[in-house]
Amino acid sequence: MLDVANLVTAYGKIEALKGVTLQAERGRITCLLGPNGAGKTTLMMSIAGILQPQRGSIRLDGTDLTGLTPARIVAQGVALVPENRLVFPQMSVRENLLAGAYQRNDKVEIAADIERMYERFPRLRERREQLAGTLSGGEQQMLAVARALMSRPSVLLMDEPSLGLAPMVVAEIFRIVGELNRDGTTIFLVEQNAHMALQVAHHFYLMEQGRVTFSGTPGQLAEDEVIQRAYLGARRTN
Amino acid sequence: MIDFVQNTIDGVMIGSSYALLALGFTLIFGVMRRLNLSYGPSIMIGAYLGTLVYVQLSAGPAVVIAATVIGAVLAGVYVERLCFAPMAAGAGIASMVSSFAIWMQLEQAAILVLPRHTYPFPPLATGAPLTLGPFLLRVDHLVTLGCAFALSAGVQLLLYRSRFGLALRAIINDPVAAHLVGINVRTAVMLAFALASAVGGIAGYLVLATDQQVTPMFGMWATFKGLIAMMIGGLGSIPGAIVGGLVLGIVEAQSQWYFGPQVRDLLAYVLLFACLVLRPGGLLGEPPARESALGRGSA
Repeated sequence: MLDVANLVTAYGKIEALKGVTLQAERGRITCLLGPNGAGKTTLMMSIAGILQPQRGSIRLDGTDLTGLTPARIVAQGVALVPENRLVFPQMSVRENLLAGAYQRNDKVEIAADIERMYERFPRLRERREQLAGTLSGGEQQMLAVARALMSRPSVLLMDEPSLGLAPMVVAEIFRIVGELNRDGTTIFLVEQNAHMALQVAHHFYLMEQGRVTFSGTPGQLAEDEVIQRAYLGARRTN
Repeated sequence: MIDFVQNTIDGVMIGSSYALLALGFTLIFGVMRRLNLSYGPSIMIGAYLGTLVYVQLSAGPAVVIAATVIGAVLAGVYVERLCFAPMAAGAGIASMVSSFAIWMQLEQAAILVLPRHTYPFPPLATGAPLTLGPFLLRVDHLVTLGCAFALSAGVQLLLYRSRFGLALRAIINDPVAAHLVGINVRTAVMLAFALASAVGGIAGYLVLATDQQVTPMFGMWATFKGLIAMMIGGLGSIPGAIVGGLVLGIVEAQSQWYFGPQVRDLLAYVLLFACLVLRPGGLLGEPPARESALGRGSA
């Protein structure tokens, strides 16, 4: 279980996370919904070790990940598919996948995993020698997911995988998310697309202004209320 | 015509040492997107270690080369730890300015610690130059040219065929994503500095073995020549470093012959200026677009 407790991350004096507590259960899909600026990406970057939290803890099955370098966190089996994908634009699709397996030394298995990625994402096979920067947004998102999977993570973090993609591509991404989860990967997903997220999630959290404001299962809260709070922030009181 | 060809040959030969200096420079710039003004002075420290083992222990060429390279690598890593590793992403100016401060520090240290200003440096090859029809070729120059091509090919192979190269290219492409795939970016950057300094150390050895003497001013000279050659060729481009070095060498050799040494340096800067105006990214580099030359760093 990925266990985040009382996490505070600040940019200078501004606290983007004001004590976030949430859990992502093993083998499940957990979603975090919330408007822009709620601190969702900050949370993901803190879990991945890119940002250093000021207080609080991040644990994976009891192992403390707080303050570890990103490389150590990858070694612990946590991989992040970052917001805006961040593929290596001047490297080929195949090289991007190889970079994803950077910490592994088993050449034969790496080659087999690349083959598996090509099977899961046939478009990547077609474009394997193409520079990643020339791919379409959807293809780049597939590549970013495949690259993260190359480290064989037990927990996959995904930051807004639907961002800027056409509805059909979004559906495809969510189909893959479900598939990965059925294959045993724990998934912790940040989304603005509440409708899609609620369809796949086992559990979801709402985050507003650096705090978790709701925790429950889809259906526990009316979808239109979730959507309103996920897009617009706190409920209007009048 | 014979003069012109001979000048071109000489220019290519001198230019190959500029190319080597630019190769190390461009490697650091490519990975960090930051200028290391202390690049030349760290080579100068290596050169002094080389001359030390030569004068004190009468060491042979292999030991002098090793001492020069080791000294340059140690000084290069010192600069990296001090001026680059602690600086946050986006603090490229801080790195550049502090590398300027360390330049002054290394230069003053060399002047203060070493009682004599000029020290002898052992020649690489003695004896008459080779003749090729009406043209003359110096053996040490030929070695430098060979080294320039061999080392740039070697660095290119390293970048495109090795695991370390994959890591460096990932960092060049996107430092945050490089962290996310599990690359230890800080270590890789330090090793890139060490590699660049080793290339610089070899360049320094070859230049000084031709000059047969070393002064504390060598650091400034190496930074200037490497920087100009890199900027003419294209920031961060390995073929650009070679082309930039050779073009600079040829222009210098021609202008020295036809107009004299004062005009030579003037023309070198005119060439740089023309390049920056007409092709801001350098001859083989990409034009600067999204990021400023000093802006992007590793997260």
